[in-house]
Order: sequence, then structure tokens, then C-alpha cells
Amino acid sequence: MVGLTGEDPVVRDEAMLDDVDTDEEESDLEDDSGEEFHDEPSKKAVYNKDGILEKLEDIAWPKNVDWRHKLTIEHDQGEKVDVNDDLSRELAFYTQALDGTRQAFEKLQSMNVRFLRPADYYAEMVKTDTHMHKIKGRLLSEKKKIEEAEERKKARESKKRAKEVQAEKNKERAKQKKEQIESVKKWRKQRQQGGFAKGNDDGPDLNFEGDEGFKQSKKKRPGVSPGDRSGGLAKNGRQGKNRKSRDSKFGHGGRKGTKKQNTAETTNDFRGFNQRGNSESKRRKMA
Amino acid sequence: MAKKRKRTSDAPAAAAASAGKSDVSAPSRPERTLFGFKDKPSDDATAAAAAAAVESEPQPDSEGADTPPFRNKEKVLVTCSRRIIYRYRHLMQNIVSLLPHAKKDSKIESKQTKGSTLNEVVELRSCSSCLFFECRKQKDLYLWMFKAPGGPSVKFLVNAVHTMEELKLTGNHLKGSRPLLTFSTNFDQQPHWKLVKEMLTQIFATPKDHRKGKPFHDHVFVFSIVDDHVWFRNYQISVPHNEMDKVDKGGLDKMTLVEVGPRFCLNPIKIFGGSFGGPTLYENPYYVSPNQIRALEKRKKAGKYAKKVKAKVRRKMHEMENTLEPDEFAQLWKGED
Repeated sequence: MVGLTGEDPVVRDEAMLDDVDTDEEESDLEDDSGEEFHDEPSKKAVYNKDGILEKLEDIAWPKNVDWRHKLTIEHDQGEKVDVNDDLSRELAFYTQALDGTRQAFEKLQSMNVRFLRPADYYAEMVKTDTHMHKIKGRLLSEKKKIEEAEERKKARESKKRAKEVQAEKNKERAKQKKEQIESVKKWRKQRQQGGFAKGNDDGPDLNFEGDEGFKQSKKKRPGVSPGDRSGGLAKNGRQGKNRKSRDSKFGHGGRKGTKKQNTAETTNDFRGFNQRGNSESKRRKMA
Repeated sequence: MAKKRKRTSDAPAAAAASAGKSDVSAPSRPERTLFGFKDKPSDDATAAAAAAAVESEPQPDSEGADTPPFRNKEKVLVTCSRRIIYRYRHLMQNIVSLLPHAKKDSKIESKQTKGSTLNEVVELRSCSSCLFFECRKQKDLYLWMFKAPGGPSVKFLVNAVHTMEELKLTGNHLKGSRPLLTFSTNFDQQPHWKLVKEMLTQIFATPKDHRKGKPFHDHVFVFSIVDDHVWFRNYQISVPHNEMDKVDKGGLDKMTLVEVGPRFCLNPIKIFGGSFGGPTLYENPYYVSPNQIRALEKRKKAGKYAKKVKAKVRRKMHEMENTLEPDEFAQLWKGED
């Protein structure tokens, strides 16, 4: 039906008939199928040029009418536009509108007329706010859909890549293990051949201290003291004051050895010592 | 509704008569508007009577002192036939919302006398032109476009309709702001296109200083002839707000257009001399009515079945003419059982 833009309204070559159209009214019965179809434009079509021009003069506005009454702009389309190509056709219309607007605005500007709506001028629009809201919603949902699709695509790709990386890693690990076992075997054989001679220097060349051995990561942690066991979390200040002081005393983080030993100051410090010896905590313990 | 005094140039006798009548009844007094006095009507008698008033008020239009300044008093009646389908009705409503100088009227029964009815209605509503949307068979939309008392009238077939309600069209503009009209240059090549252009200009241009109009230009109409059809588009002109003051300094480059709608495509069928009737001045030689296209399609389908039946009959005839000889070996193995 008529809904599509792309369709060519009339297929010319298909059939040609002149519409039997009376001046006042035509009935639907008029196009009975008895007539033959032509490939060419019908020759008997009326074209009264003089009559048309006469009529045009009748209705036309005076020649010297101010342009501001008409606001018409002519635009040359250039070469022929292909009707069936939606994009090129719409582009032609768009350029016509844009070019026309530019010319018109220049004209208006030269007449010193204000023609643009000020930013703070609000008035009724052709489309209602609810309708514009709907349009906005549709645009947003479309955008969201596109974004989601892209994200999915990215995730799929990264998954694929991660799989490859993981496989590579596994292979590497297996290879390393094999090598180490191999080297241990070799060393054992050597020792057997050498009659278990004493000496540390001929141990297997397993470099435990190397990168591949078991070890803790020696990554430098910025802002964390070497003795800190919490990994810098304690410093974040999320803990209460009590917790911190207890941690500093009893050790949550850091080496405990030196902290638990008395020093000269702590021996003389009796702050935490109840002289009477009947503190509640003790009593509770006794009970 | 009261019948108003006309000032059409093509009916000078009637105008003169009415003017004379008005002279008898009351001296012509300039009508007061918000911006001063209304421009004088073009009748000679009234013009002479009100010459003093014309001279006293400053005229923005640069015209001779003897001819009264041109004033566009176009009023367009927009109506449709009964049993129009919703899509076409929405198109009509969109057009009404685009034309502040349009008047809507009730639907008109599509029958033999609709021409005279329509002319009567146009006269009653004191309109000078009319857009009549005629829907046939719940499928085809025809648009009649005519100037009121003296014609001419153009009949179009409307195709490729998109209404403003479609969510694809994202633009919006002020209701009642005056549109810029852009025409492709091939409107000036042939007389009938010239006529169509003039009619489109008069009908679609909002009259200057119309009381429902707004003094800004924020949308542009495109009328373009492609493939012998008139294509209509409506774009919003969006200029960035901070560029508004410097349009002459390159703000034009930043201007973009957003389509508002509606869209339609007009295929001219005929041009008549009168209003909704009269002698035919032009016939589109390429026009094929949609009924014929549908009939042709139907006939193609019907032909398929007829061919099948024909082939069947032919085969039967052929078999009857050339009967097979009795097979001499048919009895060969019969005795073995």
C-alpha cells in the first residue's frame, strides 16, 4: 500500500490508460477492464497550455509583490534524482531545504528582519510534549539496544581471547613441570653414578628463588610498610580507634616478636595494671 | 455564518456591487488592528474614499501610492470525504496544524453533487482556496486543490504518505510560524507545473502578519518534482542557540535540519479550469489509476488458472486424437500362472 517511501507510486511502463474523469464526479465503475494498455503516454491527453497560462495570470499575485509575502526559494537539483533510491532522493530534498533556508536567511538578514526564535520564547508547538517524550523514549531505547549489542559483541570476543591465553598458560605450565621433573631425575642419576658423594654444590639446578619457583610475590606495595600483615588495609582508617590500638598492641599485621617483648618503658608502665587485683575481668575468670 | 465582503480581482463586478452597497449603508471606516489600521481593500471606490487614511499611515511595502498595498488574505478550507481511513485523516490533521490560515469543515459525502456542495461550503466559510481529501475504496487518496470562486482546480493522487505521528520523524517546530517554501527549478519549465507552483505557494504560505502566525521562521517546506511527482517534506531549522546572533558570520554553516513530517507525494491527474469542475486544461498522459494497476495484477493471477485449464483440455484432445495402439505383448506372460 501507500505506507512505504521506497515504492514508486506509478509503474509507468506497465499500463497506460487515461482516467475517464468527468468534471464533477467519477464513479468507480469507470475503469472496466475492457480497454487495452499502452506502453507510451496517451496521445489524446488534453494539454491546453494557453488556458493554463491564462488561469495562472488570473490567480497570480501581483508581479511586484514583496518577497516576504511569499518566502519562496528556487533550488536547482542538478542532475536527475533516482526516485527508487531512497537515500539519494531524501538527500536531494535535504540539500534543497538546507540551501533554500540559507538563501532565505541571507535575504532576511539583509532586510534587517529578526527571524530566529529567541531561546526563551516558548509557545505551542506542532507536536505535543507527550509526543516528543515518546520520540525521546524511542531514541533512547534504540541507543541502548545498540550499546548492548556492542557490549555483547565485545564480551564474546574477549572470552574467545581469554580462552586462548588460558590454553597457552596451561601448556607453559605443563612444560615447566616436565622440565623440572626431568632435571630432578637427571640429578638423581648423577648422584647414583657419583656414589652419593657429599657436597651441596651438585644439587639440581632448581632455581627456587627464580621467577618460576614457589615464592611470594615480591611486588612492591606502595605505602605499605614491610611488616604490615594487613596489606595496608589497616591504614585505610575504616577501623575504629580501639581496633587500631589493639592491633598495634597484640599484632594484627606486622611481626609480633618485638612487639610482645617488654622494653624499658613498658616495664615501668603500670597503666594497664590494677593494683588492687580485684578487677572485674579477674573476678569473672574466677567464677 | 455571515457572508463577508469579497475583494477578489477576478470578480470585479460582484466586488464593485458589494462595495457600492457598503458605501450606501456605511462610510468605509478603516478597521482597527493591534498594529494600526488594516490595509485598504482593493476596490476602487473604497480605495478612493480611504485615500487620506492610506497616506497618513506609514507603509512598509514599497509600492506605488496609487495601487493599494498587497495583502494576502488567503483562507484555506481543509476537508475530506466520508469514510476516509485514519491514516489519511491524520495526514489532513497534520496539514491543518501546519496551516494557521486553514479552516476545517465536516466531512462531505462523496457523491455526484459533492462539487457544488463543496463550492457552497467554501463560499459560506469565506475561503479563497480549498484542499479536499477524497478517499476511495479505503485505499486510494485523492487530493483536490482549488482556488475558490474562479478556479482552477488540480486533482492529485497521493502516495507514500507518512504522518507526523510517526516516531521516526524527530523534529518539532512552533505552531503557526511561517514556513519557507523551497521549490525545485523544474517547476518553471512547463505551464502546468507553473500553475501548480503558484497554487502551492498561495495555499501553503502563511499570510504575512496573520493573527495566528508567529513572527519567526523555524521550518521549511520542500516541494520537489522528481519523476513527475511533487514530493513534499517539512523540516525544522535548528540553529544552535549560541550561534543565533551571528547568523551572518558563519552560523549558517552550523545550521541543521530535522524532519518534522508529514511526507507525501502528489501525482497530478488533471487540471480543470473552474473550481471543482470546468473544462479540462491538462491531463497527465502517464497517469494510471490504481484501480487499473490492481485489475492488471488480478488479471495476471487469473490468467494462471485459465492457462492450466486450457493445457488440461489440450492434453485431453491430444490423447483422444492419437489413441495408443493395443500392446501386442500384453498377453505374453498371461499363460504362465
